[in-house]
Amino acid sequence: METIRTIIDIVSVFVLPLLIVGFPIYGLIKKVPVYEEFVEGAKGGFTVAVTIIPYLVAILFAIGMFRASGALEFMIEGMRPAFSLFGIPPEVLPMMIIRPLTGSGSVAVVMDMIQQFGEDSILVKMVATMFGSTETTFYVIAVYFGAVNVKKTRHAVPAGLIADAVALILAVFVVRWLFG
Amino acid sequence: MLNYIWAGLITLSLVFAIVYDTRDLLQDTYRNGEPLEVEIDFPDGYDEAARRLSVNVHLEESYFRSFYNSFESPADVYEGIIIRTEDGTQLRFAQDAALPSPLSTIRDITSPRDNDLRGPVSGFRLVGDSSAVAYVTFPFVRFVKMTAIADAAFGLAETAVTLALGLIGVIALWMGLLQIAEKSGLILRIVRFTQPVLRPLFPEIPNDHPAMGMIVLNLTANMLGLGNAATPLGIKAMEELQKLNPEKESATNSMVMLLAMNTASIQVVPPVMLVALMGMQINQLIFAILIVTSVSLFVAIMSAKLLGKLKRYRDTDPLRPATSSNDHQSQH
Repeated sequence: METIRTIIDIVSVFVLPLLIVGFPIYGLIKKVPVYEEFVEGAKGGFTVAVTIIPYLVAILFAIGMFRASGALEFMIEGMRPAFSLFGIPPEVLPMMIIRPLTGSGSVAVVMDMIQQFGEDSILVKMVATMFGSTETTFYVIAVYFGAVNVKKTRHAVPAGLIADAVALILAVFVVRWLFG
Repeated sequence: MLNYIWAGLITLSLVFAIVYDTRDLLQDTYRNGEPLEVEIDFPDGYDEAARRLSVNVHLEESYFRSFYNSFESPADVYEGIIIRTEDGTQLRFAQDAALPSPLSTIRDITSPRDNDLRGPVSGFRLVGDSSAVAYVTFPFVRFVKMTAIADAAFGLAETAVTLALGLIGVIALWMGLLQIAEKSGLILRIVRFTQPVLRPLFPEIPNDHPAMGMIVLNLTANMLGLGNAATPLGIKAMEELQKLNPEKESATNSMVMLLAMNTASIQVVPPVMLVALMGMQINQLIFAILIVTSVSLFVAIMSAKLLGKLKRYRDTDPLRPATSSNDHQSQH
């Protein structure tokens, strides 16, 4: 297990430099004017980033307002009884609600829980597994669809949220099974 | 769906802000205009003529709790200063002091820049040589949540721009590299190699189309926890998919599939951020994360596929005419 982990670690360190150098070298071999093509492609970077802005503003400010109004806390409090019924510890509930909404918010939750319960605690293992297993779905939607100006996202939100919900709930039980 | 979620978030914010602010007004949470009794002692000694005195402020717990109707406990001592001017005497708590609620809220609202709670002092009365009793009246605090949601809206609008502009560099880097990879035929090789496996998930992508290559690179970067690279690669994949999209405003099934797989990607290496937070503890969690993400990836694929079969999403599918024959086959 430990050796596998080391190998994976090394691979993940090397993969970026290898790609960044590998693509141009492969291009050279194939007689592509690499510098010219790189610049040609990179031109798009600015346009894409700017295109994303309205989508990101729309999503982030709405979620920010929702948090600031106290509605999020209210929702977490309201869902507490239902979750404890299914054997989910109430302490991890904030993470489950915040995770798809905001990345910085979920980092804050993990940090807060490490302070409160310590890195070793099973609750921290649960929220960390949640953090590692899911994405900030609404951010990803804003960035990916925003980059190509797609406004009608069809079933992307429900599909993403279903997957999130499964991962978040499963994290509780897998961690309990492994460490509990 | 996003329309309703978005409108719901905003509307609920306003409703909750109104409810909380009304409750604060009715319960007089901040005791506006009413003086709070504090005990003060002077660590450097008391000087009648001094314009500026450093002080230790004590809040008596039971009095504090009943005054503010709060369950919080104040600390034993808070550092502060007393400032005397012609307009009167003012007590200032030290900057960033760990004040109990609702004092912390009063501070956040009334002194956002200096972040020190302050208020005029009345009824100052010496007790012995180096301590005193005084009454502090803090500035009026009203409509806390109303102010907060407006601030959040403006603040996050700014954050969004910072975030997006911060991406320019990485996106440009990867788009440049991918341009080389495409022109040199590397993407095509990746496509040829992987399309037999990924074909069932993205049936709309024609044979040997670069979109498949970008998707593979994006999913791989995600698996290796390379968030920095995954986003630009995902954006590039979306651009390739958009080229196949006849209705530029609507997402195609392939786009939804890519997005679903991204939100629930298998993590072989945990994201950099989590490693930073958890340190060595992360080693224990890799297996847990692997199990969870394997299941959630499967769920993501299934829900993208199955939701796409619902009538409302079939009717809005930009590639509907081309895929309708496939749909008939799968229904038999």
